[in-house]
Amino acid sequence: MLTTVLLRRLFLSIPTILGVATLAFVLGHLSPGDPAIAAMGLDLEGHSSVEPGELERVRTELGLDKPIIVQYFQWLGKALQGDLGRSFVSTSEVSDLVFDALPTTMLLLLMTMSSAAVIGIALGIISAVYRGRAGDYIARMIAIIGVSTPTFWFAIILILLFAFLIPILPVTGSIDEHGFSAMILPTAAIALHPAALIARMMRSSMLEVLSQDMVRTATAKGLSRWRVFMVHALRNAINPVITVIGFQFANLMGGAVAVEFIFSLPGLGSLLIEGIYEKDILVMQGAVLVIGVAFALSNLVVDLLYMVIDPRIRI
Amino acid sequence: MSSAENHVGGWVLFFESFKRFLSSKLNRFSFVLILLLFALALAAPWISPFPFDQVNPANGLKGPSWEHLMGTDNAGRDIFSRVLYGARTSLSIAMIAVIFGLITGVFIGAVSGYVGGMVDEVIMRIVEIFMSIPGIVMALALVSVLGPSLPFIILALSIRRITQFARVTRGAVLSVKTQDYVTACHAIGMSNMRIVFGHVLPNCIGPIIVLATVLIGNVILTESTLSFLGMGIQEPTPSWGTMIAQGNEFLTFAPWLSIFPGLFLFLTMIAFNLLGDGMRDHLDPRGGSVV
Repeated sequence: MLTTVLLRRLFLSIPTILGVATLAFVLGHLSPGDPAIAAMGLDLEGHSSVEPGELERVRTELGLDKPIIVQYFQWLGKALQGDLGRSFVSTSEVSDLVFDALPTTMLLLLMTMSSAAVIGIALGIISAVYRGRAGDYIARMIAIIGVSTPTFWFAIILILLFAFLIPILPVTGSIDEHGFSAMILPTAAIALHPAALIARMMRSSMLEVLSQDMVRTATAKGLSRWRVFMVHALRNAINPVITVIGFQFANLMGGAVAVEFIFSLPGLGSLLIEGIYEKDILVMQGAVLVIGVAFALSNLVVDLLYMVIDPRIRI
Repeated sequence: MSSAENHVGGWVLFFESFKRFLSSKLNRFSFVLILLLFALALAAPWISPFPFDQVNPANGLKGPSWEHLMGTDNAGRDIFSRVLYGARTSLSIAMIAVIFGLITGVFIGAVSGYVGGMVDEVIMRIVEIFMSIPGIVMALALVSVLGPSLPFIILALSIRRITQFARVTRGAVLSVKTQDYVTACHAIGMSNMRIVFGHVLPNCIGPIIVLATVLIGNVILTESTLSFLGMGIQEPTPSWGTMIAQGNEFLTFAPWLSIFPGLFLFLTMIAFNLLGDGMRDHLDPRGGSVV
């Protein structure tokens, strides 16, 4: 039974992933002007300096002389095999660039997600337990400040604080250069927003559970407050919060783009922005494709996990 | 006669509801903050101490003083004046993008929810695809291929809003369309168009207003991120994102360049988030988080 449900969900994610691929293709072809010129990394002003034969050769190489629908299926076929074309700026394979960038971004997102979850859940519980008292107000204030602070600005403030005023952490650079400490500031910068969202979610979910009869029963039979909150209430309140955490990926990736750029972390976000700055369309296309597919896959995993955790939604 | 009476009744209800909304201290605070922001943005040409583009290299990178409340940037331009004009830029772009997203998204969502079946399935699949790409990534990619001109920036900012409005509207329409009064409309032979626009959508307005409030803040944030990355509003038009990016280059010795525009952005976000929260409690108490 569970297997059929899982398979059905798996099957449903195929059109989404294909759709994301189509979107990435369309984005690459929206660019006004000749894609061959764009692909060669030239501005339109540079047009005259290209020999006509050269342009023709690039067009044929990219398959641009064929109808758009043929181009689409050729591109899709290659993309499925992991061939995303070749960067016209660095001349390396786009897939290599993407796979080099992927670990940094994944580590960053994983660190962000786990620290945001721990801080957010803790804040949410404090808020709910001390409802209407000082602890609640402080926790809620932190949460509203957290959701309202622009990630990229917070990153700059963190740099100002920790790299110049209290110089204990590296400002920019990869793990290879500075080790693990290179990830601390970027993680903090991205984690603030999701931590605040999780705290708010945790608070309302906890408050809802705390008003239920079973909590009163647990208190009535003489369990300690701590046990009632941490075991009985928390276990029932955490499910919706897990979903929120799971679906934070798109938000996190959005934050990661600017933060990776600010801290010069060589991840997917930096790759995307470099691709955009250098007008390296294939790199841009590849980065968008991988980010979109990763998002669709992470949603899939969250859905599947949720089905396993909560039997009620296996319909 | 009755339609005119209904009209008046509607306004009275609206003011009653608004009065109740403002009875909360936090709601009053966020509402006043937003009014203040709009006032500053509108009045920018009259209250700015300097023209936003008045260059004075001899007076560059000066710290906050009575003459320049927030200091000057590297070209000697007054940061305070630029921040005020930046509010104008951010608010107007966000309003246009959200209104465009609202009109398009509500229409798509209403069709999807009301027609149902295959149409709904296909529309929601497409919405899901667009939702798979983070807003800022989508906006960056679009602006980079289309060019950072104002219409394209607004388009890039609204695409994600369209999908968000479509989702929320569809959900609301699905729950409203099973109500008895909709069945009654069918029974007296009303056209589908009239049912959707005259009877279903007006009853879905709560979640839509809540979403619109939250999204104005969101769009302002996306626009500043876009501008910060150099793919949004271009010089010389002042934008908070661009100003923060320029300040980033002088962070060590002139931090006010980045700090003040960021503070305004932060205050704006707080105001819209609080207002959105208040609106949600007021209009859509059963609804969960919309974004």
